[in-house]
Amino acid sequence: MKEKESKKTIYVPDIAKITRIEEVTPTEKLFNIVFEEPKKQEEFSFKPGQFVELTVFGVGEAPFSITSNPNNKEYFQLCIRNIGNVSGALHRMKEGSKVGIRGPFGNGYFPYEKMKNHNVLIIAGGLGLAPLMSLIRYILDSRDDYKEIMIIYGAVNPASILYKEDIGEWCKRDDIRVCLTVDNPDDKWTGEIGVCTNLIPRVDFPPEDTKVVVCGPPVMYKYVVQELEKKEFAPEDVYLSLERRMECGVGKCNHCHIGNKLSCVDGPVFSLWEIKNLKEAI
Amino acid sequence: MLYKILPRDSYQSFVENLIRNFDFIGPKRKDKATHEFTKITSFGELDLSYKKTTIPPAKQILFPSTEEIVEYRREDNSIEFRPVVEHSLKLLFGVHSCDINAINFLDKVFSTDFSDDNYLSKRRNMVIIGTDCEPRETCFCLAMGKEYVTAGFDLFLSELTNRYFVRVATSQGNKLIEKYASGISSAGEKDFKEYNEKIGDFRKKFKLSPDAKSFYDNFDLIYNDEEFWKKVAKNCFSCGSCCLVCPTCFCFNVRDEIELNLKEGKRIREWDSCMIPEYGLVAGGHNFRPTKENRLKQRYQCKLKTFVDKFNTYACVGCGRCIETCLANISIASDIDSVRKEVTV
Repeated sequence: MKEKESKKTIYVPDIAKITRIEEVTPTEKLFNIVFEEPKKQEEFSFKPGQFVELTVFGVGEAPFSITSNPNNKEYFQLCIRNIGNVSGALHRMKEGSKVGIRGPFGNGYFPYEKMKNHNVLIIAGGLGLAPLMSLIRYILDSRDDYKEIMIIYGAVNPASILYKEDIGEWCKRDDIRVCLTVDNPDDKWTGEIGVCTNLIPRVDFPPEDTKVVVCGPPVMYKYVVQELEKKEFAPEDVYLSLERRMECGVGKCNHCHIGNKLSCVDGPVFSLWEIKNLKEAI
Repeated sequence: MLYKILPRDSYQSFVENLIRNFDFIGPKRKDKATHEFTKITSFGELDLSYKKTTIPPAKQILFPSTEEIVEYRREDNSIEFRPVVEHSLKLLFGVHSCDINAINFLDKVFSTDFSDDNYLSKRRNMVIIGTDCEPRETCFCLAMGKEYVTAGFDLFLSELTNRYFVRVATSQGNKLIEKYASGISSAGEKDFKEYNEKIGDFRKKFKLSPDAKSFYDNFDLIYNDEEFWKKVAKNCFSCGSCCLVCPTCFCFNVRDEIELNLKEGKRIREWDSCMIPEYGLVAGGHNFRPTKENRLKQRYQCKLKTFVDKFNTYACVGCGRCIETCLANISIASDIDSVRKEVTV
């Protein structure tokens, strides 16, 4: 007996509408999303580093980190690279289209509470800036709660730099230090060249008074961690967002497991100490 | 737990009553060599002499190989999603201890963190009656501590001389036996004595005894020994058969199917296997476990370490199905011991 129940299960998405699409690079677009039901939109709250599962009707579902400010209650934003089935379909969609949303998921988020009254070092590689944007926007809302803030961001080339407007704004402020670097510069590039790991030796924050957050492609973590360890940051003070394949987002399908942890429910943000001896973590 | 005695004379009528009153699933001979759990309509079809079914008895009901979990419908620009949950009452008869222990494991998986109603609604509506078994050459449940089960069933029948020793674990089980069986009495000293002897003898019959406890710590030491893992995984075809027959494997993929009218669709989950290369592949082409050594190593970690940390239990019940099914003759039981040998030598 199969029943179509009125009771929702963990696999049933809520309907939401894409209210705005902005192309930010040749491969990335920003999507502003609002739940169809006003009450759901009102109740929807998330923490920096959490993700949602997004359904494109007839194509499937995939996990995406939220990039918008948790203080923004009007909509939430995803930054999506055109690279898979669902993301490809999303890139073909127009403003006003409907999608399905489950979430927010992830019990491990960027622990902004612990960062208060400390220096904050943010290290982003490529699309890894997207989930970190949520944190950056959030802590800039209450800038006085934090000591110095430094953002290191490495992109493949100048054209792939995300959030150029925001970065421009940060550069104008004297209470944030921004270090940009690209692997492949073009003729006009006058900034740093190389991977973001190269810039870590320049960090002069005292390790005992600093929290570090890292997000980037899988290959990046090992090298970033090596550099951070040279600087003697405590593993408890370093937070990494670990991407894995996810099918369900709710700790059932097991694809995102890293040893005895699941990226979807235990992460996606882990402290370096938590994963220190977890095989395959970084 | 209540302990009761069912006279042999009443056994057939008890089972027949259950067949009449329930959607009764039990072991039936399929061909000369194999049995399967399927719908039983008469007492004669039931064959409890089975040693092991290829597909675990409960998994195909509680967590079928493909299962619709959501259906959706689009009209113009509106979309509607609806959950699909199945929950008809089923009675599963003749399940062995290892397989009940495996159900108990799956219960934990599907109820931890988030409740999975697709699994749990079926589980809540499943009556389980266990029966005892004879170990086969590939059985090593004793080594995994899964040869005996104390929960997860309603009734458990152990055959003694001219009677059955019945362990009653739930009030539902108690009602069944009171309503459908005649001549029931409480178990006494003599019954317990014979039962204990029977269990003692049963435990002596196992040939495989891998030392799973030693794996837990030694795994850490041997983890980066690439040569060792190459040797272990040398013959693996990455076919995933071990996961398909495993009573505790629960990994699944989710995919969408849409009707040709482009208006209705459904979301389906289907069994996946961590032995298949695509398991760790993400959009963009990065694979977190690109080699078969990576994958077999992680399967052993999942079975013997991960869930000891998480649920304080092995995710392997020692049923030996993967050993019998593997085309490359890979045996988790011998590999457990290879880890120990490699480390102690």
